[in-house]
Amino acid sequence: MKVRALALAVQGVLVAMYAMPAHADDEQAAALKVPTNWVELGAIGVSRDSAKFGEYTGLNESGGYFLGDFSLRGGDAYGDGNGTRRWGLTGSDLGLTSRALGATIADQGRWNFGISYDGLRHNISDSYQTPYLGSMGGNSFVLPASFGTVPTAAPGTRSLTSAQLGAFHNVDVSSTRENTALTGGLILDRQWDIKLDFNHLDQSGAKLQGFGSALLGGAGTNEKVSILPMPTDYTTDTVNLALNWLGEKGHATGSYFGSFFRDNNNSVTFETFTNVRNIQTMSTPPSNDFHQLNLTGGYALSARTKLTGGLSYGRNTQNAAYAFDPGMMVTASPTSSLNGYVVTSHADLKLTDQTTKDLALSAGIKYDNRDNRTSSNIYNFNAISGSAGNIANYPNTPLSIEKTQVELAGDYRVDPKQKIRLALSHDQIDRQCNQYAVGGGTPAYAAGTNCVTATQTREDKLSATYRRKASDEVNFNIGYGFSSRRTSFDENARAAFIETGASLPGPAISGLNAGDYRGFHPFFEASRNQNMLKAGANWQATDKLSVDVGGRYTDDNYLSTFGVQKGTAWTLNLDTTYNYREKGTITVYVSQQERTRDVTDMQRSPFLAASAPSATAVGIPSGATWSNNLRDTDSTIGLNLKQGGLMGGKLDLAGDLTYSLGRSAYDTQLNYQTTTTGGLTCAAPSILSCGSLPDIKSEMIQFKLNGTYTLDKSAKIAVGYLYRNLRSDDFYYNGLQTGYTPTGVLPTNQTAPSYAVNMVAVSYIYSFR
Amino acid sequence: MVDRSRFNWLRASAIYSSALILLAGTQALAAESAGQQDKALERDKVCTVCHNESWRTPVLSIYQTKHGVKADARTPDCQTCHGASEGHLKQGPGTKPDVVFKKGPFAVSDDKVRAGQCLTCHRGRARTHWDGGQHQNNQIACNDCHQVHAPADRVLVRRTQTQVCFTCHKDKRADSLKISTHPIQEGKVVCSDCHNPNGSPGPSQLKKNTVNETCYTCHAQRRGPFLFEHQPVVENCTYCHAPHGSNLSPMMISRSPFLCQSCHDGPHASDSPAGPNAAGNQRGLTGNPSANISGRGCLNCHSQIHGSNSPAGGYFQR
Repeated sequence: MKVRALALAVQGVLVAMYAMPAHADDEQAAALKVPTNWVELGAIGVSRDSAKFGEYTGLNESGGYFLGDFSLRGGDAYGDGNGTRRWGLTGSDLGLTSRALGATIADQGRWNFGISYDGLRHNISDSYQTPYLGSMGGNSFVLPASFGTVPTAAPGTRSLTSAQLGAFHNVDVSSTRENTALTGGLILDRQWDIKLDFNHLDQSGAKLQGFGSALLGGAGTNEKVSILPMPTDYTTDTVNLALNWLGEKGHATGSYFGSFFRDNNNSVTFETFTNVRNIQTMSTPPSNDFHQLNLTGGYALSARTKLTGGLSYGRNTQNAAYAFDPGMMVTASPTSSLNGYVVTSHADLKLTDQTTKDLALSAGIKYDNRDNRTSSNIYNFNAISGSAGNIANYPNTPLSIEKTQVELAGDYRVDPKQKIRLALSHDQIDRQCNQYAVGGGTPAYAAGTNCVTATQTREDKLSATYRRKASDEVNFNIGYGFSSRRTSFDENARAAFIETGASLPGPAISGLNAGDYRGFHPFFEASRNQNMLKAGANWQATDKLSVDVGGRYTDDNYLSTFGVQKGTAWTLNLDTTYNYREKGTITVYVSQQERTRDVTDMQRSPFLAASAPSATAVGIPSGATWSNNLRDTDSTIGLNLKQGGLMGGKLDLAGDLTYSLGRSAYDTQLNYQTTTTGGLTCAAPSILSCGSLPDIKSEMIQFKLNGTYTLDKSAKIAVGYLYRNLRSDDFYYNGLQTGYTPTGVLPTNQTAPSYAVNMVAVSYIYSFR
Repeated sequence: MVDRSRFNWLRASAIYSSALILLAGTQALAAESAGQQDKALERDKVCTVCHNESWRTPVLSIYQTKHGVKADARTPDCQTCHGASEGHLKQGPGTKPDVVFKKGPFAVSDDKVRAGQCLTCHRGRARTHWDGGQHQNNQIACNDCHQVHAPADRVLVRRTQTQVCFTCHKDKRADSLKISTHPIQEGKVVCSDCHNPNGSPGPSQLKKNTVNETCYTCHAQRRGPFLFEHQPVVENCTYCHAPHGSNLSPMMISRSPFLCQSCHDGPHASDSPAGPNAAGNQRGLTGNPSANISGRGCLNCHSQIHGSNSPAGGYFQR
């Protein structure tokens, strides 16, 4: 009683003190209660040009940039005001292409409104060269009149004349997004509210793409490739209007989502460069609409038992006029536009029960359907090779995919320090075409022919996790998962890509899915067993030191005769944080990731240089196989240091050192005795279809140091320094260099991105309330 | 040609709708009494008398947040979230409050207790699928990510959100530092653009029902439907792409021709081994480099790999 009386007395005194007139602490309290507005003005200096360094920041050119950021907030809801209204204005990166601006106003509990702008330029390449005339972002590319033509026979594009080489010029390639968004909300009462989001996305610029010329697209050239900027002149309008209801036991949201994509080009024309120069046509992504109605909600059957669910129904349409070269069609196109129509539907239902403190159960079912109701017709067209053997005469494949998932899970708390979770799930994917045109082809597509080879995929998963709080300082967890995926294949299906020529079907290569060998199954749908193991631990060694370690390993074994045979992946992460003094923290982390993938296939024909002997001549045995292995290894190390309160509390510093190294290595082996190949081995330059490729490697080191010095109550100076060094090596670029290209590919002279850039930023920050 | 009139109409509708919302809200503004604010602050004083501006953490900055706007009748007071905590009030600081959110002198309350305090008000909408969701299953509570007292909740600020997520998702932190990524480090694409960490029926807590629906939010040019569709493209973008980052540009899980050979071994070059000759002829090959496997590889000719809307595009060449 005495203690309680004393406590009450102390509280009474404290309350009386709080109620006293303003004193010195009021300012401190106001500083917490009232938002700080700030404006930052300054400059950024970048030491050298690099599209990769400024890939997304807009700092891709050397020189100076304006630095401008601000955040202004106000309204009578702040402080001890009696109101509920707030407003805010924000701006960031105002001098860069990554700039953003936003304004919001809200009356809390009643309505809110916001408008924002967000820019983003993706700087793709500053080393791309082309002889073509035509603006980056445009849809017409022609060669200078003086360019002449390039011989079709080897060395072809490896022997460009000096005049032709002189036509090459640099074109910076970038794609820009500018997004304007409006948001609004209106609270009708305690149960109902409306929310509206509208986005208008403008895209411009281009991305690089191969443009293959066609023998029959105009005349005279076939399979000669120009790499050109495919325009990204798009607009996408997105609207989401939602009505929310919240009751005592239930809640629901009904919404409409609309997305309207417009491509401002329906084709790109380009001039061919061999034999005869003529203008040909490449199609572009078609404009399309998507409308979707959604209903989600939940109901509390009891305080601890809840039912949630959702329904969606969407319509995706597309009817852009086809753009093509008439010569590419063997017979006239059966339609002038697709009139494409896809219905997407979704349903989910989940029951969770946490009635008892120690046991939580859940059961759920999900259903997704992409029902492609587009008509299928036979299209009779030429490949760009112009070869009679490659004439296609087959239907488009409007694929429908239906997926169902059932999941059961239980969490049991053994005691306050131990928990076990078990989960089971069953997935089923059914693939089919509602309609598949018959006729065409050799043999013809008969009625009842399946349009897809992997007609059904079933996957059963089991996972178990154990968590233990070993002490107040140590937590750890371990988990195991097993997944069995089985796919039913229709080996007689005639999926798209099948030719009319002699390559299909032969006794040894009777095929499916673009003429695959029987027994060859695409990795994403092939039957497979997967084992997964994961573990993690957290140790709060002291009040100042914590250590976190975790990892995961997966092992995939595929059951296909050919194709991907095995895949593994593991990752290991170690983080440690040490608060070495007040306002001083140092964090060190290491991540190691590794991934492998092994493919095996039967060798149909060796890939040989033009001058090499035939497969028979080099003695490659019938049924011989080859394999290819990918090993992808990534290492990341980081050191982060933060120290505040220096120089009498005026200086705050933050430093960051990051190192990352990524390596991807491909290795190909011939699984037969190369000594039987007439002396040609993997090392023979005319073969080189086995052995290791050079590593695809990227190595980045980055050092950042930021400091903020407080001049007075309302002014700060911020100084930032960044050094980033990227060294990358990628064989991808070898075949793009003048003198080293494939015979029919025009060089672009793009280089693997490498740079060493210093960046300094200085700014003045003025803050006020 | 593109019919823009429809979109002008849509844009105008959206702007007018927003203006109407604003107008309606402004008209409603005059209502509600201000008196409740004083009452609410009085209730808070029970706590703020000790947990004041001198407290070791900036407790009072909650008054800058929506939780601190006392003129809103829905706004909680301290005890709404921390519990009545009568023992703590009566017996002093040695007795723990009913609900402890952060580690300090007292052990943190159970994750379900902490999350339960928030979900009392924040039911439905984006939290509809919290129960049984991946974060709840992993014993994460709301305040493990959200900072309720901070003027700016760093998980709701785009520039700082990823730092919060990377606290646990460290492999994604490493992915975001690879040579080919979305602009994650720049804060232009953040986790919540694609994921709903509060739970969703979509895979990997994606905001949309499927992977592709999520990707089409920004990449609507891939939606089609195309005349000639490519099955894995239609089925799941992540069959080929690693959206968090990759060593193989552009965010690929493997490189052409090897990626293509994981699904195709016919009818022409895709059934042939591609060794060092795929690296072009700067590595010693004396013959002609092949357009099938070097540089863009298969994509030199099959460049419309996401689908073609040309009647001559069945091979994805046009």
